[in-house]
Amino acid sequence: MIKITELQKTYRTEEVETIALNKLSFEVKEGEFVSVMGPSGCGKSTLLNILGLLDDPDGGSFLFNGIEVAHFNERKRADLRKRNIGFVFQSFNLIDELTVFENVELPLIYLGVKGPERKQRVEKVLDKMQIMHRRNHYPQQLSGGQQQRVAVARAVVNNPKLILADEPTGNLDSSNGNEVMTLLTDLNEQGTTIIMVTHSEHDSRYSHRIIRMLDGQTVTENILI
Amino acid sequence: MLTNFFTIALRNLLKHKIFSIINIAGLAIGMAAALLIFQYVRFELSYDKFEAHAADIYRIQMDRYNEGKLSTRWAAGTAGIGPVVKDAFPEVTSLARLYDWRGVMSYQDKEFREENMYFANDGFLPMFSSATTQGSITGALSNVNTAVLTTSAARKYFGSENPIGKNLLLNKKEPFTVTAVVPDPPANTHLKFNILLSWPTWVKWVGDPMTTQWGWDGFFAYIQLRPGADPHQLEKKIPAVIQAKWGEEMKKSKEGIVVHLQSLGNIHLSPNYMLEAEANGDGKAVKFLSIIALFIIAIAWINYINLSTARSIERAKEVGIRKTLGSIRRDLIGQFLFESFLINSFAVILALLLILACLPIFNAVAGQSLNLSMLSTASFWSMLIGIFLVGTVLSGLYPAFVLSSFKPIAVLKGRLATTSHGSLLRQTLVIGQFAASVLLMVGTFTVYRQLNYMQHQDLGVQITQTLVLKGPRVMDSTYDNKLTGFRDEVLRVPGVNSISASTEVPGHKVGWNAGGIKEVGADATKARQYRVIGVDYDFATAFGMHFLAGRNFSRDFRSDTGAVLFNESAVKNMGFNKPEDVLNKRIDFWGKQYTIVGVVSNHHQESLRESYDAHIFRLIPDANTYYSLKLTGSRDSWPATITAVKTQYKSFFPGNPFDYFFLDDRFAEQYKADQQFGETFGIFAGLAIFVSCLGLLGLAAFVTNQRTKEIGIRKIAGASVGNILSLLTRDFMRPVLLSFLIAIPLTWYALEKWLDNYAFRISLTPLLFIGPALLILAIALLTVTTQTLKAANTNPARSLRTE
Ligand SMILES: Nc1ncnc2c1ncn2[C@@H]1O[C@H](COP(=O)(O)OP(=O)(O)OP(=O)(O)O)[C@@H](O)[C@H]1O
Ligand SMILES: [Mg+2]
Repeated sequence: MIKITELQKTYRTEEVETIALNKLSFEVKEGEFVSVMGPSGCGKSTLLNILGLLDDPDGGSFLFNGIEVAHFNERKRADLRKRNIGFVFQSFNLIDELTVFENVELPLIYLGVKGPERKQRVEKVLDKMQIMHRRNHYPQQLSGGQQQRVAVARAVVNNPKLILADEPTGNLDSSNGNEVMTLLTDLNEQGTTIIMVTHSEHDSRYSHRIIRMLDGQTVTENILI
Repeated sequence: MLTNFFTIALRNLLKHKIFSIINIAGLAIGMAAALLIFQYVRFELSYDKFEAHAADIYRIQMDRYNEGKLSTRWAAGTAGIGPVVKDAFPEVTSLARLYDWRGVMSYQDKEFREENMYFANDGFLPMFSSATTQGSITGALSNVNTAVLTTSAARKYFGSENPIGKNLLLNKKEPFTVTAVVPDPPANTHLKFNILLSWPTWVKWVGDPMTTQWGWDGFFAYIQLRPGADPHQLEKKIPAVIQAKWGEEMKKSKEGIVVHLQSLGNIHLSPNYMLEAEANGDGKAVKFLSIIALFIIAIAWINYINLSTARSIERAKEVGIRKTLGSIRRDLIGQFLFESFLINSFAVILALLLILACLPIFNAVAGQSLNLSMLSTASFWSMLIGIFLVGTVLSGLYPAFVLSSFKPIAVLKGRLATTSHGSLLRQTLVIGQFAASVLLMVGTFTVYRQLNYMQHQDLGVQITQTLVLKGPRVMDSTYDNKLTGFRDEVLRVPGVNSISASTEVPGHKVGWNAGGIKEVGADATKARQYRVIGVDYDFATAFGMHFLAGRNFSRDFRSDTGAVLFNESAVKNMGFNKPEDVLNKRIDFWGKQYTIVGVVSNHHQESLRESYDAHIFRLIPDANTYYSLKLTGSRDSWPATITAVKTQYKSFFPGNPFDYFFLDDRFAEQYKADQQFGETFGIFAGLAIFVSCLGLLGLAAFVTNQRTKEIGIRKIAGASVGNILSLLTRDFMRPVLLSFLIAIPLTWYALEKWLDNYAFRISLTPLLFIGPALLILAIALLTVTTQTLKAANTNPARSLRTE
């Protein structure tokens, strides 16, 4: 599903030039659950942003479902992104002014799904995430675990083929963290490809494979199953 | 403490440059605009109030009624009204009487046409102008053939000679001995005279009864009341006196007179009555401009409040930390007020610079003559300090209270809903700002449409290509022959098509107002007032007047010396409907009978502000007020024509200054005030909108900045740049659109009021609103888009990273 070859990303600020990704290559097959690990600043989030088509690489190749997307413009990337990719972040990134329902509904609105169908699909996923009873609450009124379940609900409501999770349990205690990991595992079992950045060895054990990075390069790949 | 306040405030201003620039610029523009307008308004309001007895002086304004219906409202009423009121009431301590006069004055070889002369009685100078520079005012106007000059009139005729005791000649005939010289009347008086002629001379000319009767209008009467006397009580007692004196006579012709006492200080901004000494100021324009001034400064204050509270989130953290460090609320309010003080101080400095830079432009546009001396008046500075203090406190206090009321825990935990806080107030204020902008913009459009309408309406009379000469005043028994000779010679000048003599030309109110005119044989109660224009045989043709019935005067009918023409309104005034109905009817006109031989369409004698009058055209072939020459060719060729005409004029009418004007220019002058009002209104409306948009720009910058995270999240959830743009834009445009809903009825009402000033006016159409509304919408959209476009295009990965 994803194949990157010699991917490169350099950040330039006025004083320094940071090589965030240095000729990184790997492949992720459809249906896989992959963890990406490595010390802080080694380029994990940068990688995820590129895989999520939020940012473009400076060099190398990025095949998404066999199509070269490294040089896609913003509009094409946005289009591909909203149909295929869901995101989960460490800091949940819910919109404070919108209710749980409205937050989850967002991707469907932008996909142009009609009102009644939207309602049905949002309710279904809220139900699955066991957060239906909180549908009219605002994010501030929820616990961290609940907020992250809403974020996951939002990530999966449009049935993406790929979920990118950047330290999804980073802000959660272990029981809430486990709950979220179980949700991700379930999704993966239903066929969704998942790439997750994590600092937690415990969480990484939910995945099939761990990619370890250092200074923008892969160092090892452990296969867990 | 204060230095701490100061350093923090200054640092804050420097750190938030957009915020500071927008506020200082907006406030400075608001202050400068408001101050300039207030100075203008103050000048308009200052008229005649400088007179020592201003509070006790009243003008007797007189309304005439015909069969119970109001016919004419006179600024200068009937001859007898002044003396009657003065004699009947002890609380009236003195009476000033004036009668307007024109003519050519000369001293040795100096001759000038004088248009600001009055016959004035003894009571006038003590009431209005107690100072003299030469001679004494006591008795200065008591004897026949004496005159009082203003300083500049004296200089004009006598140079450095002492004028006292010297003789001026009126129309090269009547001598007037100069008895006193008084200072020039200031710019802010409605009575601007050059020369006063003694009342007894007037009485000598016309006979004493003529100055005390009730049927002859055109006499100004000013009365001075004993201090403390109640003018309203007096006004109520006057009808009984009129009734006792003239009641019987008036009953016979079913006429009536009602007088009102106009306080001297109010005359200038009152409506224009018949025969005003000078055209009054426009009270409505003064009111509208004052409102604009308030709008602009209020809009700038609103910007400050809006931007400060919008920034409150950014500053919430600072407040939280200060509070946890033990800062008490009072200190915080002080801190924020101090910032407001600082911003307002900078704005004052900038406003003063703006005023210095823009004063000439303002004067040119508004037709004012404000000068830097206003900077040395107490009123200017008290106004400035007033605006400064109100601005500092009003716009500083609310943000100060909002900011200082944040609970430290809530703030530090980031539990302040970012966009909702104070957003209702902000939206309301933005709605207010834009409602004001719409009002001003639609107002500007309407003013221009109305002006344009008035200037392009068919006047019913031809005024282009017309050179008008002022007729001779110095004449003798050979005038008729001279006029014939002059006419023949002028027609021989290349470029002159025709020449016609008349007592009036279009461009101002007809001065000859004749009452008591009725159909021969009709009841005395049918007598009405008409405005009479004396014209020669060629006038109607030369001016392209349109005949509805009958014919023009003709040299072929010897009987036409007893003929008149009516206009449509005159036909109605006499009680007929169709023009044909009055043909060959005979009328009584001051003891003589005339036959109506023709009816012409109504023409616009005055600006379209005024309605049509009932006109009677009388055949006066030797009228000597105006000679109208219809010219051929282009303007470039006219100077030569004028030179040739002047040579003839000087040879036929020696002793008369050659004065002329172009009729279309003169006619257009009636619109000068409207034009100036339009331009002034337009410019300040533009400024108001500019300041509103400055505020919107600041608000858009802050709000989109605050919503960076939300925008990022939405983009990750699949929003396109277009989605984000429309989301943000919708939020900003909602108050703008709402403001339209509020502004439209208000504007409609205000403009209807303004247009009511005009007898001939455009009607308000939705189109007048749509154009300006779209323009404002576009400007607002553009303003907001500069900010939202940036936000919508930011890479969401970046915006979330900064969290
Ligand atoms: N927008 C940016 N501008 C400049 N440098 C950046 C930018 N984003 C990331 N970097 C730099 O690139 C490198 C990789 O950053 P990245 O966020 O990918 O690391 P990370 O592996 O996700 O770290 P962490 O585990 O702390 O989240 C870092 O050195 C970081 O400072
Ligand atoms: Mg990271």
